[in-house]
Amino acid sequence: MLLGLGKILIFPGFLFLTVYSLLFEYLDRKVYARLQNRMGPPWYQPLADFLKLIGKEVIIPAEANKTMFQVLPVISLSAVAAAFIYVPVLGKEAIASFEGDLIVVLYFLTIPTMCLFLAGWYSRGVYATVGSVRTLTQLFAYEVPLFMALLAPALIAKTWSVTGMTAFFAEHPLYILINIPALFVALVAAQGKLERVPFDTPEAETEIVAGPLVEYSGRLLAIFRITIDCELVMIASLVSAIFLPFMTGNIALDFVLYLVKTVAVLLFLALMRSVMARLRIEQMVNFCWKYLAPIAILQIVINLLVRGWLGL
Amino acid sequence: MSLIKKAIDWGTRKSPWIIHFNAGSCNGCDIEIVDALTPRFDLERLGILQRGTPRHADILVCTGAVSLQTKDRLKQIYDQMPEPKFVIATGTCACSGGVFDGCYCVLGGIDRVIPVDVYIPGCAVRPEAIISAVVKLLGALEAQQKGGGKDAERRSDYSTVGREIQSFEG
Repeated sequence: MLLGLGKILIFPGFLFLTVYSLLFEYLDRKVYARLQNRMGPPWYQPLADFLKLIGKEVIIPAEANKTMFQVLPVISLSAVAAAFIYVPVLGKEAIASFEGDLIVVLYFLTIPTMCLFLAGWYSRGVYATVGSVRTLTQLFAYEVPLFMALLAPALIAKTWSVTGMTAFFAEHPLYILINIPALFVALVAAQGKLERVPFDTPEAETEIVAGPLVEYSGRLLAIFRITIDCELVMIASLVSAIFLPFMTGNIALDFVLYLVKTVAVLLFLALMRSVMARLRIEQMVNFCWKYLAPIAILQIVINLLVRGWLGL
Repeated sequence: MSLIKKAIDWGTRKSPWIIHFNAGSCNGCDIEIVDALTPRFDLERLGILQRGTPRHADILVCTGAVSLQTKDRLKQIYDQMPEPKFVIATGTCACSGGVFDGCYCVLGGIDRVIPVDVYIPGCAVRPEAIISAVVKLLGALEAQQKGGGKDAERRSDYSTVGREIQSFEG
């Protein structure tokens, strides 16, 4: 009981998630800066930003719904932290798992996006409303390809649990090669989920200032920022658990492998962010439904055929 | 408790986010501010980010002699920023009105409307001067936080602190 609580709260649970997410934000910004031929921020920058925002005044607009305005950041952070429980960090075993937790994780990951939408909506600002409507529009575009891309490997593994899928693919590493299109779809859709370039239309700072977060300040903004960082860690962990489950069997070595895999996913996402420009919202929706969704459907068909052919 | 306050003070010094406002400038200083934000000067080394919204910003970087049209907007933008907040008057016009001083349509200087922490003269200011001003503002802030205040006298070429920087106790 106490051990389980410690796992959930400290390692590899909430505390590890927040510390690792600050490190992730640093790596992301550093790689982005190096690709622009800059030095980039020092290693403590995300921590300094977080502490500064904690100390700042919180302004709640007179028009805004005060309860929702304050509660939404906390709900979104707790949803991401809850999702992290079902993703394996130490070896093959997650803190908790049951048949079907992949679906639960995906729904937990939708909650921050919905919170972002509601945060913008309840702020009652013009920019915030435009940003939150775009957030919701974008949600309908990337969510289906992302779900299909993450569910396709489950057809081969014949289990709906993240831990089960990791265990299956660790035993049969060659099946990963079949899932490469799904990996591509998942990484591109993840950029949309995390609202990063090229899909950062909802918070496009050059046109609608900061999107749904326009009215947020102080520690509420700090919680939202750390939620977005945690989401980045979460997506990288999920992708590396499902698509890159190379295991050695030794727990310490597996943890190092976990760090290497997640950082590799992050480097790819940072590279995508640096070399691309922002799409307009309708271009984004077109791209997701015209290219990403068909590739994901094709992946599901391929996986079904492979499953029948191999008699899994 | 004091450890938390120390950590927050440290964070405030290490992560100044700026917002840029043009209060009737000729655009010369604005272009230099944009210049200072380019990869050549790489302000992210110091933790400086440009934010679009005053709610996220710590430092208001103003240019121009404050025309009557922008007076209310400037006040509004300043009021929307959360405490602690600082103001940098960028360019000769922002400091004193410059060549527009005495003109019927300008107030002549940012400090006629809002309190200013750092003045940077120059027409137009150089990016190095802007960076130096921000660093000096942060240095003065550190002296203030540590309770000293003796370093607040140490000003040179580019910047002068117009008022005592408000402490965080308030």
